[in-house]
Amino acid sequence: MNHHQFREGMKAATPIVLGYLPVALAFGVLARGAGLSPLEVGLMSLLVYAGASQFVAVEMISKGMVWFPIVLTTFFLNLRHLLMSSTFSLHFNKVPLRIVALLSAQLTDESFAMAMADPSKIANRSSYVLGLQMISQCAWVVGTVIGAFFGGLINQEGYGIPFALPSLLICLLVLQIKSSIHLGMMILSGILSLLFRWVLPGNWYIVLTAVAITCAGAVTEMLRRRE
Amino acid sequence: MRLEMVWIILGMACVTFIPRFLPMAVFTKWTVPERLRWGLDYIPVAVLSAIIFPILFFDGGGSLHFQSRAVFAALPVFALAWFARSIWGCVILGMAMYWGLGFLL
Repeated sequence: MNHHQFREGMKAATPIVLGYLPVALAFGVLARGAGLSPLEVGLMSLLVYAGASQFVAVEMISKGMVWFPIVLTTFFLNLRHLLMSSTFSLHFNKVPLRIVALLSAQLTDESFAMAMADPSKIANRSSYVLGLQMISQCAWVVGTVIGAFFGGLINQEGYGIPFALPSLLICLLVLQIKSSIHLGMMILSGILSLLFRWVLPGNWYIVLTAVAITCAGAVTEMLRRRE
Repeated sequence: MRLEMVWIILGMACVTFIPRFLPMAVFTKWTVPERLRWGLDYIPVAVLSAIIFPILFFDGGGSLHFQSRAVFAALPVFALAWFARSIWGCVILGMAMYWGLGFLL
């Protein structure tokens, strides 16, 4: 443990903390509205620590708690971390495995982007990355719990609050649209999800849509590159 | 704390940890196969669309029904997200639209 590096990492986390806090507060409020207690909110932020999946899970919980479809949806949504983790791993080949486990548990899109902005700062400097990620996760956990307490004080049915979570998810969706193929996949996903939702019970339509679109995406790329 | 919620959280924690940890743990030259990589790129779009579209076109009972209040609130949110890319702007606009449409529809 290198204290100088750790402190340096903590300082580097400032922009992430400022970005996380408002979103964390919103998550706490909305999760409370979906029936989660502040303790459940805190535990989820501590153990799962994945923004988009947590919002999606809360939306699914609000429609009825069935653990398997929720866990499976989280799995698909977080598969993209495979890519980040395999890039990240190249920089930590001299770090002991238990430290690597801790580093990878706290890997998020934001900390990855931050660390990758200057790879020379992270190469085998696990204390730096640990400082960066510890502070980021602290901000997330504390922010969501405060949001959950605050969420208990307001009327969750009034002032359009029931549409706050769908609005946030719509924004996250739009931010994912990076090309015309993504836009096409969005429309295809929408149609498929309506179809699956119509014919299948429970929350299965989400997982099925994800599997179908993963295949469709791979095939589309294959055809595109062959031309 | 409810038992089912504990299972949901623990399950989510496991499936989030595995893809984060596995590539770091093996430390080999293993890289994600190209075709899987292409497919992975579209999963967030698929999951988020599959969450949002049924909110707009299904009622609480599970039958197909145009949710005019949700659809007319969602369209400007989509436009704002497209042009301004602001999460907070979207949340506030969505709430205001949905609230206002409640008086009109």
